[in-house]
Amino acid sequence: MYLKKINFWFLSSLLVSIFVVIPIVTVFTSFFEDTSNYYQILKDTFLFEYIFNSLVLLISVLVLTFLIGTSTAYLVSFYKFPFSNFFKWALILSFAVPPYIYAYSLTAFFENYGTLYSILKNLFGEANYNQSIPKFDGLIGAVLSLSFSLFAYVYILSRASFQYQSQNLIDLGRNLGFSKAKSFYSLILPAARPAIVAGLSLIAMETLAEFGAVDFFSINTLTTGIYNSWITFDDLAFSNRISFFLLLFIFAIFILENLSRKKARYHANTKGGFKQKEKIQLSGSKAFFAFSICFLVFFLSFLFPLSQMLYWTLKFPENLFDIPIVTLILNTLYLVLLSSLVLIIFSLISNYGNRVSKNKTLNALSTLSISGYAIPGVILAVAFITFIAWFDDNVVKALGFLSIKKMFIGSILGLVLVYFVRFYSLAFNGIKSGYEKINISVDESSYLLGYSKKKTFMNIHVPFLRNSLLFVGILISLEIIRELPITLILRPFNFETFATTAYISASEDLLEAAAVPSLFLILIATLFIMLTSKYILRENER
Amino acid sequence: MSDSYLEIKNVDFTIGGKIKVKNASFAIENEGDTLCILGPSGIGKTTILRTIAGLEKIDKGSIKLNGKLLSSKDNNVEPEDRNISLAFQDNSLFPHYTVEKNILLGAERNKGKRKKKLSFKEIVDFLDIENILPKFPHEISAGEAQRASLARSLLTQPDLLLLDEPLSNVDQSFKEEIQVRLKKILSKLKITTIIVTHDSYEAFYLGTKCAIILDGQIKQFDDPYNVYHFPNSVEVVNFLNRGILIPAKVTGENSLENDDLGTIKGNFIKHYPKGSNVQLLLQPEDLEHDDKSNLKLEVVDRKFRGTNFIYTLKTNSDLLIPVFVHSHHEHQHEADEKFGIKRPINIDHIVCF
Repeated sequence: MYLKKINFWFLSSLLVSIFVVIPIVTVFTSFFEDTSNYYQILKDTFLFEYIFNSLVLLISVLVLTFLIGTSTAYLVSFYKFPFSNFFKWALILSFAVPPYIYAYSLTAFFENYGTLYSILKNLFGEANYNQSIPKFDGLIGAVLSLSFSLFAYVYILSRASFQYQSQNLIDLGRNLGFSKAKSFYSLILPAARPAIVAGLSLIAMETLAEFGAVDFFSINTLTTGIYNSWITFDDLAFSNRISFFLLLFIFAIFILENLSRKKARYHANTKGGFKQKEKIQLSGSKAFFAFSICFLVFFLSFLFPLSQMLYWTLKFPENLFDIPIVTLILNTLYLVLLSSLVLIIFSLISNYGNRVSKNKTLNALSTLSISGYAIPGVILAVAFITFIAWFDDNVVKALGFLSIKKMFIGSILGLVLVYFVRFYSLAFNGIKSGYEKINISVDESSYLLGYSKKKTFMNIHVPFLRNSLLFVGILISLEIIRELPITLILRPFNFETFATTAYISASEDLLEAAAVPSLFLILIATLFIMLTSKYILRENER
Repeated sequence: MSDSYLEIKNVDFTIGGKIKVKNASFAIENEGDTLCILGPSGIGKTTILRTIAGLEKIDKGSIKLNGKLLSSKDNNVEPEDRNISLAFQDNSLFPHYTVEKNILLGAERNKGKRKKKLSFKEIVDFLDIENILPKFPHEISAGEAQRASLARSLLTQPDLLLLDEPLSNVDQSFKEEIQVRLKKILSKLKITTIIVTHDSYEAFYLGTKCAIILDGQIKQFDDPYNVYHFPNSVEVVNFLNRGILIPAKVTGENSLENDDLGTIKGNFIKHYPKGSNVQLLLQPEDLEHDDKSNLKLEVVDRKFRGTNFIYTLKTNSDLLIPVFVHSHHEHQHEADEKFGIKRPINIDHIVCF
């Protein structure tokens, strides 16, 4: 009887789960391994700093993104003002600017003799402006870069929750004689709390995982610590020890996020009494105020980094020819297509397997498989290398085979495998939400109409899921285009993407040269976001 | 029973590992007959349909259709290979196809299998769904979706049609008309059908036979007339909720005596020895109103039901008895007034427990 359950669906889900579990297990087992002397030195000196910086960064970013995300979501959900419909989707364009590119823009604009200096010089003539121009570097720079790049998580989720709040709730507030402010604090905000917490948890995970921006501002956090101990000290075991601490943070947030999501379902499923909200038309100074806030956030999060990169690209046009743009586009396309295809195929199989087999073990395996998204890319990459090295030394060579290190480390195969672990939850959940819209009795009707399981899958599921698959494909592409640490650590020699090219130029203090790949990255990501914005917003309006 | 068109023998109907209907045996004798299954919510009516359709397996007993074994502990013909159509109660239309395409999928199944066929046009006219054909399932009402689903099932012209509360979401005004048309079409095409419903009138009208399911078992399996007039247990009486049980004493071959109503005459459907104390089933149509009668009971309530009134009368022993009166009756009685009952009381068939 039990053997019957071990079929194709079971095996494929098991395989995916093993992939995801490998980095976690590697990190935990490596914690007890010997490291070099650097561990002792760093433990006495920098480890506390790593943890402290990570915490300060985390708290600051959470506070700022909460303020920016919920205030803009509230304005576009409840009020009509000039361009409010435009801001509704324009505010998610900030996703196109990864924190590290925001960091380059911030530095380029405010640095000595930077863009702001040039503007002031052109407007008011030569003077020593450098002294009075504020410098947004170090921790402040990292907080700003991360906040403006990530606030959209809170914006999207809280907007969806506001959107879902029944008119009845707002009418009830009025009926009880609440002022608008009291309605907001007493009814609207508490009702949206699970969604906001879910958004903040995602931001927390991204902040702890962030590598590019914090590395650029030379802030020692747990993530940069992992990378540096591997690159500088060549100490994988120490890398894994720091990963262990970071994973503890992440798990705490992951649990919190899961708890809040359970509550979120309660709100999302409210069907009875749903009445589309009437937006309040603002006029005069109130309309101007609402417009100004949304425009300021849109400007700072998207227009500012875009124009800075555009300005430098135009100012130093020679960089356009120094960078192999066609190769970078082809490399990006190659990675994006290959990874999306593998991810979508496995996610489809896994989702379909769960649907038809109704097997509890399979379900548990799937839940485990989607935890990869919570693990920072740096940890995944380092743990992957650790595991391959261990496997190669202890299993492959022991059995007398040739080394497999080259096949996995510094190869497209290794890169795609780690992307797979990192982005599997995106693909799996995206397809799952599409599947949830197909009532199970639809499958049963199909069987009763004489369709086999395969025909039901091909003729009923796939056509219905077409849009979900496209959406998932674009989301994965967007993530891979922006992805930095995994690509940086695992890419084959001389294989660059826009993200790695920008990072390398910036780390060599050639910010002008980083502008071209950054600009291309922003433009491609913007295009992808525009293609999916309808889905992202509609998905949440359901 | 061995030559029956559909034969269910000693089956435990289970869902999610839980037995809903235990050790059930019943049959549909002839092809083209309609069986209506009645029972309270959650009792397992839908589970029976799902099991016959092959969507749930059985560990005990057997299900045979037209002599072919469909389900048993060791055998299970897959749903797609049974040629049994099930119209679900909830919307099971394919969301990415229009209503027209959804219905036409039904026609693909049984090309050339039956002599008497129903065209797409006929079925669309019959269910009055022409205006929703170009729409998608999310654009139509629940009642329209049910009719579209019914159309798809009918168009498959299956060996056995299973309908789960097929008209539960259809407007009351349209429901009776659809019932008439459905009965006509099932009889014309000679499609054997099982209908699950909670509406006893619907079951009595459409069914050749009715099965009443209570407490995890089939309590009564009989003609609709018999189910109503000769319920075989107190549970069935309570479920149908169409009369009350009053205490009486058997006084002769054709008579009983009740303290409040006096002598009641009629034909016993089952023999009881003289002097037995029984519970007599009194249905609303059993008593007649007569203003001149000296048997007067107090009016507690009056319900207007269009064609008739149902008066609830209180006896001296505080029993509450329902009585039908035609709504065109020359006068009406208000609560607390006295209401005359014609004597002697004659009941066509006497049902006692």
